[in-house]
Amino acid sequence: MSEEEKEFDRGSALSIFGSDRLEDFMALLIALVLAFAVYIVY
Amino acid sequence: MVYTRRSSALFIIGIIMLVIWFLADGGMMATYIEHLGGSKYKYLNELTTIPLYFGVVAAVIGLWQLLGKHSEGHWDYYSSTIAGGMFILLIAMLVRWFIAPEIAVISTSMGKVGDTGKYIHKLLGLNYVVLGIVAGIIIVNVFKVPDWARNGVRLSRLGLKTGVILLGTLYSAAELTNLGGLSIIMIGFFVLGSVGMVLWMGARRNIPNSMAGVLSAGLGVCGVSATVAVAPVVQAKSVEIAYTIGTILLWGVGCMFVFPIIGNLLGMSYVQFGAWAGTGILNSAQVAGAALAYQPDGIETLKVAEIFNITRVLVLPIIVLWLAIWYVKREENVTEKVNVGQIIFAKFPVFVLGFILLFALSTTGIFAPPNHYKGKYFGNTTEQGFKESKLLKTEQISLLSTEASKVQREDRKAALARLIENKKVMSIDDDTILRGLINAKVLSKKANKVLKGSHKAVRHTAKKIKAFRQWITWLFAFGLVGLGMQITIGSMKQAGGQPAIIGGVVGFTKAILSLIVVLLLVSETV
Repeated sequence: MSEEEKEFDRGSALSIFGSDRLEDFMALLIALVLAFAVYIVY
Repeated sequence: MVYTRRSSALFIIGIIMLVIWFLADGGMMATYIEHLGGSKYKYLNELTTIPLYFGVVAAVIGLWQLLGKHSEGHWDYYSSTIAGGMFILLIAMLVRWFIAPEIAVISTSMGKVGDTGKYIHKLLGLNYVVLGIVAGIIIVNVFKVPDWARNGVRLSRLGLKTGVILLGTLYSAAELTNLGGLSIIMIGFFVLGSVGMVLWMGARRNIPNSMAGVLSAGLGVCGVSATVAVAPVVQAKSVEIAYTIGTILLWGVGCMFVFPIIGNLLGMSYVQFGAWAGTGILNSAQVAGAALAYQPDGIETLKVAEIFNITRVLVLPIIVLWLAIWYVKREENVTEKVNVGQIIFAKFPVFVLGFILLFALSTTGIFAPPNHYKGKYFGNTTEQGFKESKLLKTEQISLLSTEASKVQREDRKAALARLIENKKVMSIDDDTILRGLINAKVLSKKANKVLKGSHKAVRHTAKKIKAFRQWITWLFAFGLVGLGMQITIGSMKQAGGQPAIIGGVVGFTKAILSLIVVLLLVSETV
């Protein structure tokens, strides 16, 4: 894991985002966009 | 650092997806589809849509990545993840559409295993979920993830979190009340029990308090996230965090593969298995993996498991507080002051709130109006959706009558009696109860098929809900294949020494005890 961490100058070994909080907000944003798309399209 | 690689890989992935779509849509795969199951093959609709959309996106962006100029910055960083994301998606597609069905064909041709009455692929859970994770593990450990895909592989957890948030749209208030109550009792007992057990064992085996603290949170609450959240509270060192994460991964990955096999051998219902996986498996991602592995073409087990998992995540602030007080009492010379409130606020997982938000939105009926199907239950006119042909046939009625004595619960007995008397489901409540009876696997497969037919006669899934299910399935498939690519032998080798022994004892105890409790007490409907 430590080797992978050195490979990227941003995020962590498990995420492209700098913090879990940012990843959570991005997941929420994507989910809301998908929900809106489903609501409109179907 | 410039992340975007001048590689033709993404463009080629796009072309492969488009070729799959072209062959499927043009009927050129008909013979192969026939070989994979013919009319029983479930993925034809997906084959003629999904690879087209994603193929076009991958081919266009792939061409730009190959021919365009790239310079350091946010756009370069985030757009470079697309290649890895599409790489995971292509593997998920190949496994779901071709490899898993092919293995099912081979396994079926080998016949059923002994007295189990099940084919080997069913028994071992060799479906697209398990095979996708295994494919990821093989790629990262045997072939290595290609350079151009490395950044995007780290998108998998984002996919899982988005899937959990969207899952909120699929619960009814009644389901959440039933499952919520059950999960609070079970999770409360097992989380507090395992945290307490780790702390007790840690003291007896003389491991440092910081190690015991961080290990107890990881084994008790929700794996890696809890470990990271508690680390500053107990002033854990990097090596202790690594030990804990290694132990959780080693144990979690083992459980992810073993739990579905045990569930199949014991013939557990979806609710029982979901409750067991959500309680007994340590890490959130592996909970989702085991639940989907147990029921790859349905969402009921995942729904139950995630409620348990989310309840567990919600316990995190209490555990942080407990460990903070415990640590200060144990360590007399704590010099560095820790703001527990600030840590709880900073580490509380927002995606759980997203799940609740989507659930709240769904209960307003914007995705599927709650009374939409009422007429079909009560009405007997064609305007209300009634069709003579949808009533149960005489032989189906007699089959259900013969098996009715197997049903123990009074509400299920009554709902089944009404179905037999009226030849159709008569109310929304009866429908919910009978679906619970199906999930409980009390009746024979044949009788359950009749019940499923009677459910479909009065209720079809709303288009929006169907779309959500498909998105959720793919987000989890994506996340789990990516998760496989992050399970390196090296990361599991970090487990060792006392933490591995304590982790093994506590994990095993939790898995066995929760299995016993679930088998004895859980028969709730979903």
